[in-house]
Amino acid sequence: MSDSPVKCERKHSAQTLGDQAKVYAARMRLQNAVDQADALDAVREIAGNLIGTEEIAVFKIDKKRSELWLYWSFGVDPSKHSVLEVRREPKLKQVLNGKPVFRLRLSGESLLSTDDPVNALIPVLVDGCPCAVIVLFRLFPHKVGIEPVDREICEVLSNCAGRAIEPYLAR
Amino acid sequence: MAKKVLLVDDSTTTLMMEEMILKQRTNYECVTAKDGMDAISRAVVEAPDLVLMDVVMPRMNGFEACKRMRTEKSLSKTPIILVTTRGEEEYVEAGFQSGCNDYITKPINGFELVTLLQSYLGE
Repeated sequence: MSDSPVKCERKHSAQTLGDQAKVYAARMRLQNAVDQADALDAVREIAGNLIGTEEIAVFKIDKKRSELWLYWSFGVDPSKHSVLEVRREPKLKQVLNGKPVFRLRLSGESLLSTDDPVNALIPVLVDGCPCAVIVLFRLFPHKVGIEPVDREICEVLSNCAGRAIEPYLAR
Repeated sequence: MAKKVLLVDDSTTTLMMEEMILKQRTNYECVTAKDGMDAISRAVVEAPDLVLMDVVMPRMNGFEACKRMRTEKSLSKTPIILVTTRGEEEYVEAGFQSGCNDYITKPINGFELVTLLQSYLGE
């Protein structure tokens, strides 16, 4: 039996508020990070508690923008992901232009040519330019994919995680 | 009198989100703790009507804190809901063996959280 209109409205309202709370908490956590280590911890917390993955890596973009070097990771084998070559990874070109890329639901296609499934590539912007890329690998098993609210949280990561990469931005 | 909920998590992000959802959608009073040990001492003092607690935390995890709360006379019947990253049977079973009443998986869904708490505390 389907829910009554009132119940549907309440569900929608609670859901919207929950989503807003996630986006707000992500932004506040990153903006209030006291130093670089705390900012990286914030990235881990946001990915694990708000998006639903405990496999994350941050890659720094080299000056020629041809390679990305592993800068920090959590829950993944760093030796398997030490460097990403832009010419071998077509999806990275879009990310280097400042646009995040997400894996489509139910699609088997990973975003990078690694054995581990990649669900999101998020450019970290400093003064509007990408200086690093956050890679979200395997999601929790009960999570069906990247949802609209996750995209909003990723946008927060894109705009506010700069201090996790560039120490001079720390408070 | 407003029902009191003790929120336990080492992540300030999670505490902020949970508090925001509950303050906007319910009239529950929220108090917080940062790990299992902190949770036990806070629970004894605050006598919450419900505990919403993460499992993976430093110093003392949620399973252990749940077990210890059950040995406190004042907390033996307090509903405890564990927040887990895994919904697998083994993990859930470990939670129930520690004495929890229910569990909710991360990432928390606002509607599910409010509905679950209201099922124990009413609106």
